[in-house]
Amino acid sequence: MNRETATRLRRRTMLAAMGIGLAIGAVGAASAQDLNGELVILNWQGGVEADLWVDLEAAFMADNPGVTVREVQITAQGDARGGIRSALLGGEVVDIIINTWPAFRAELADAGIIRPIDDEWAAHNWDSKLSQSWRDLGSIGDATYGLTYTYGDRSGLWYKTAHFEKAGIEPPTTWDEFIASFDALKAAGYATPVAIPGKYWAHAEYFETFLIRTSGVEVASALAAHEIPWTDPAVKAALMKFAEMLNAGCCGDAATMLANDWDGEADQVFLADAKNYLMIGMWMNARARGDYGMEEGVDYSLLQFPAFGLGHDDTSMVDSKEVNVTTNGANPAAAEAFLDFLLTREATDILADYGYASPSTEADTSKLGPVMQISTDAVANSKVQFVLGDLLPGDLVDEYRVQLQKFLQDPSEANIDAVLAAIEAKAASAY
Amino acid sequence: MALAAPRWRLRDAPAAWLLIIPVLALFSVAVVYPLIETIRLSFFDIKGLSAPKYVGFGNYLTLFADPTFRNTISTTLIFTLGTTAISVSIGWTLAMLCAFAPRRTLPFRMMVFSAFGISETVSGYMWISMLRPDQAGLLNNLIGIFSPGFSYAWLGDADTALWALVVAASWSAVGLPLLLCFASVQAISKSVLEAAYMDGAKPLSIMRFIMMPLSLPGVRVAIFINLLNALRAFDIIFILTGGGPVRATETVGYFMYRESMTQFKLGYGAAATVILLIAVLIVSIPAIIQRTAGAK
Repeated sequence: MNRETATRLRRRTMLAAMGIGLAIGAVGAASAQDLNGELVILNWQGGVEADLWVDLEAAFMADNPGVTVREVQITAQGDARGGIRSALLGGEVVDIIINTWPAFRAELADAGIIRPIDDEWAAHNWDSKLSQSWRDLGSIGDATYGLTYTYGDRSGLWYKTAHFEKAGIEPPTTWDEFIASFDALKAAGYATPVAIPGKYWAHAEYFETFLIRTSGVEVASALAAHEIPWTDPAVKAALMKFAEMLNAGCCGDAATMLANDWDGEADQVFLADAKNYLMIGMWMNARARGDYGMEEGVDYSLLQFPAFGLGHDDTSMVDSKEVNVTTNGANPAAAEAFLDFLLTREATDILADYGYASPSTEADTSKLGPVMQISTDAVANSKVQFVLGDLLPGDLVDEYRVQLQKFLQDPSEANIDAVLAAIEAKAASAY
Repeated sequence: MALAAPRWRLRDAPAAWLLIIPVLALFSVAVVYPLIETIRLSFFDIKGLSAPKYVGFGNYLTLFADPTFRNTISTTLIFTLGTTAISVSIGWTLAMLCAFAPRRTLPFRMMVFSAFGISETVSGYMWISMLRPDQAGLLNNLIGIFSPGFSYAWLGDADTALWALVVAASWSAVGLPLLLCFASVQAISKSVLEAAYMDGAKPLSIMRFIMMPLSLPGVRVAIFINLLNALRAFDIIFILTGGGPVRATETVGYFMYRESMTQFKLGYGAAATVILLIAVLIVSIPAIIQRTAGAK
């Protein structure tokens, strides 16, 4: 080997080593280098959740002074997906999308708008902070697209402690106690024990918990994927159980149920003292503390839906919020660093301050209020199923909610058959 | 001293084009292009963010086979005719009553017309508080004076929700017919009215035989505008009922929104938009022809 060849080889070896080093370092570069530039986040949340994000972004910018976070805000009432789609199709370029709909995640991935984050997951060892079940929740097939930053129990019943004290009852733990509590509450002057907000979508919360408690999470999962038809006896059994609650005089007339959304029914429970139980997600906690000025665990609390004794009482419906990373974002390094930040103690403390639970192992659960601790314990000890309505194809979910409204109008067995047949007819063309 | 003639002078036709081109350009961008794009989209199957697939008239065929859409047509007819009939008849009646004392009724007319200027969203929230299902709702509270403990979910019952919506929409729509009909009544020659008085006609006769027939041009314009507004109604339905319960108040306009924005089936929603556009044209063209027939 002559000197020139040796020099050339040394140079090539050095270049190759640098290349390999760069390749290895590239994935983890975000945490090692000083980040800069603008990080754009598409946010569709309002109220307290919008404030939470302002605080999270401010903390991230304080940790990374070179980065400026800008939000593209979508104003939406109800389902925000239309607004998000319009923004993306309209040419908005963002680095991160906040998402809560697994079906929408698949749509974004199919359209090539978001990308897998498996490389970042490995580089930052997020497995040490999030359990496999959270990773599975954010995955499509073998690829991970979503990093879950908060989750909530959707099988809990909110109640005002003063109502139970006045009625002389304890929070019911079994179905029979629950049904028996209606008479005690009515005798105490509450005409309608259970609030069912049927105006848009929240009435489906009850059905979904009835479904997993009567037949298990596997049936709900199979139904979401349309591996079993809506006319399956397991689905009918859930509605029959729901009908049992309606026929026990839980909820007043159907017109009243269909007139209010969840916020109106929350007012009926916590402001008007007219109703007693409300099944709704954990955002109720922020409303109870912020809007009603009540003390968590003292003025109000949460109980897991009472046990049916059918072998599936260790199940809960849950929701979660995740962040997705886009394929065309201008600042992937900052996006990666932001995802990592969301799992830190600093971020989970901010979430806890706003009453939101984090799935990160970094989270200090003692910072959560008593009601939040009830819900996180319930989820930790349950087989969980993601909210059905967020898993169904868009075409089907609307029909599903309207047919459940028809069920509320007439909970007879004949109408249950008609309702399920109508949903199945829509499902046949929706997948 | 005579003014010097300009050295150059643009001929009429080029001058007219020069003036009209900016307007045409704006019209093309703001109206013609979205219209053509909507019609084009209606021939594609677009679901969510997926790639469009050409389906020809497929969306239209699906639309007319869709029982939900067929139901929205009858709901739209009831809402449109109901709102127009109520608002125009009240507006016309008020206009004639106000015509007997125009100055003294000015504050009243201003109050009624101001409702027309309120955003439909604000008006919707106002009506929600009036139609609340509990006894805190104004309507239930008023009925409760005669029937203690009365409460009714006006917006939750499919039988009453649409009519509650018609009343709420009519309330804000009364102002325009009042204004237009009042102007028509004011345009009646004073000599005609004086002659009627001289002949001993009573106020009711004057109203019936002179003011009503001579104010018909204003009534026709009011009907035309209210029909168009009711056909396109969306905001108040969105706020008050969200198209429910069980789609009982879903009009074509709301259906179009739900399919396009909630379901994001842009092609299907565009087809519904084209149908709505045709309905608007059917209402508009005869009125426009009639109003502009004498134009030179």
